[in-house]
Amino acid sequence: MTTIEEPADIEIEVEDIIVCRDLHKWYGDFHALRGITTTIKRGEVVVAFGPSGSGKSTFIRTINKLEEHQRGDIIVNGIELTNDVRNIDAIRRDVGMVFQSFNLFPHLTVMSNITLAPIKVRKMPAARAKDNALELLKRVGIAEQSDKYPNELSGGQQQRVAIARALAMQPNIMLFDEPTSALDPEMIKEVLDVMRELVTSGMTMIVVSHEMGFAKQVANRMMMFDAGLIVEEGPPEQIFEAPKSDRTKLFLSQIL
Amino acid sequence: MAMNLNTASASELPPRSTRGMAGWMHANLFSSRFNSILTVAFGAALAAALWFGLRWIFLAADWTLISTLGGRFIIGQYNAESACPGSNCFWRPQAVLLLFTVLMGMAWGITGRGVMKQVAIATAAAAAAFTFLPYSLDRMGLDVRLLLVANLLALAVGWGLARYTPLGTARRTAILGGSAFLLALVLLRGLPGVPGLQPVSVIYWGGLMLNLLLAVSGIMFSLPIGIALALGRRGQLPVVKLLCVAFIEIFRGVPLITLLFMSQVLVPLAFPENFPQDSLFRAAVVITLFSAAYMAENIRGGLQALHPGQVEAARALGLPSWQTTLLISLPQAIRNVIPAIVGQFISLFKDTSLVYIIGMLDVVEIGRSFIQGNTEFLDNALELFVFLALVFWVFTYTMSYVSRRIERNLGVGER
Repeated sequence: MTTIEEPADIEIEVEDIIVCRDLHKWYGDFHALRGITTTIKRGEVVVAFGPSGSGKSTFIRTINKLEEHQRGDIIVNGIELTNDVRNIDAIRRDVGMVFQSFNLFPHLTVMSNITLAPIKVRKMPAARAKDNALELLKRVGIAEQSDKYPNELSGGQQQRVAIARALAMQPNIMLFDEPTSALDPEMIKEVLDVMRELVTSGMTMIVVSHEMGFAKQVANRMMMFDAGLIVEEGPPEQIFEAPKSDRTKLFLSQIL
Repeated sequence: MAMNLNTASASELPPRSTRGMAGWMHANLFSSRFNSILTVAFGAALAAALWFGLRWIFLAADWTLISTLGGRFIIGQYNAESACPGSNCFWRPQAVLLLFTVLMGMAWGITGRGVMKQVAIATAAAAAAFTFLPYSLDRMGLDVRLLLVANLLALAVGWGLARYTPLGTARRTAILGGSAFLLALVLLRGLPGVPGLQPVSVIYWGGLMLNLLLAVSGIMFSLPIGIALALGRRGQLPVVKLLCVAFIEIFRGVPLITLLFMSQVLVPLAFPENFPQDSLFRAAVVITLFSAAYMAENIRGGLQALHPGQVEAARALGLPSWQTTLLISLPQAIRNVIPAIVGQFISLFKDTSLVYIIGMLDVVEIGRSFIQGNTEFLDNALELFVFLALVFWVFTYTMSYVSRRIERNLGVGER
């Protein structure tokens, strides 16, 4: 049996960074989120999993308001998510997002992809934004690619650029929406390595992923989604060794 | 003994291609009996067309109509005695051409070895070549010929401005281009009381100069108006959306020739009574708006083809929606529809000859009305229209060539 090391120093600062209360979301008549209530602490790493259509992606997309919730409250970093545009923009500056399909801007170089938002939104001087971007590219291991265009890079490299782009805004929270699902097996590792490094830096992360090895290693908490609800949550050892819900047991038996 | 299927060095080479003329012909022209018949039949048709075509051009055709009209093809009645009494106004359109050449030189200076270099050199060289025409271009004296040669100098000046002065940025050149367009209009129209710039009424403006003025103003203004309409149509504001849809559908739904005719009545109503306006202005407005309606739909198509993840990624980074549109959506959308946009520009350029319906003498109408008034040339209509077709083709082909080169440089279609 493997023991999971809790990064103890992270748990000390107990501070709620994301609070969701009774979150509901409908697409037309389809009830996608049916009352999500959860609290995520600063520095916590949460892995959300579950069958497709279970609402896990929708859940993290409501956190930076890419999807609008119709009932319930979300409070991110002390700011309540309302329809106020200033609040939404403030939260989006604080929350970085990485997408399954990378969504890099194909008409801009890697460097411009990363510096665009810091310059335009954070009003950072171009030279400093560039220095920061190079620093981040070194951190994700592709500093030499900064003048290329996204379509000249491999999938794994593109996703690492996407992570650097999100980090350039110096967010407090990072959301990952199935970051490795569109990647070939040998590229999954290079992206997960970057994410592991991010975990050790103390970043608050919510990761929608079925990379169970990764979850076992770094997650403080796992959330099993099914039919718009969190059917079970808890530390990885509980989820993997002693799941309480039959739905979780069944799902894990299918994917492991 | 272990089998290794991958080591034979011969297998590392691609299959031998059928090289040589005979091999190529066998593969592409005579690969089957049916293809051989097609090849022979089309070859014969092509040869016959070439034979009769060239014989007509060099032996049968009478090109005196073209040389008789000469400079009038280029500027219409602009330099006629009635338009410019007592002096020679030919230098003014030529000064406009010089301005244009300077701008082309600047575009070359900024973009370096790109397609702009080719177009700039071709423009200046063609203008300079006119100097050596053996016949007179409408009261063409030594001064006029010298001004044509000066295009080579203008090209060099523009290139130098872009390379060695702070003007050499795309934005500053674009601003200069806009100012040059206004300056060109003032030069052509003239200023009352200024010696050498006696006013020339727009009813005398004509020829290729008229087509090009309408095309340039149409291109300059229809793209931004089209973008605004496309964004309005896709936007969240119901009233703006309705207005944009109504505008697009009305201007697309009516033939341009009808719009031009109606402009004689409708456009004057939209402006104060003493607003300085004339038939040329009205024509320019109608052509621009007509083209903008089509442009809007082209741009909208480009916006719709964008992956929604692009906007999501920009919004997730905290970019406000106007910056998302300006920096992320539009640049990609426009790139993706460059072929359609250039197609619209080409169509706009050809449509400028429709202004004959409101009594303006564009390059086509100059020729047509001349034949009508001089019956000894009635038999030369074919020569006239072959010549006009060539003139239009040179301009439209240039546009399509430039567009193809730009697309290749931007890597459109490789994504």
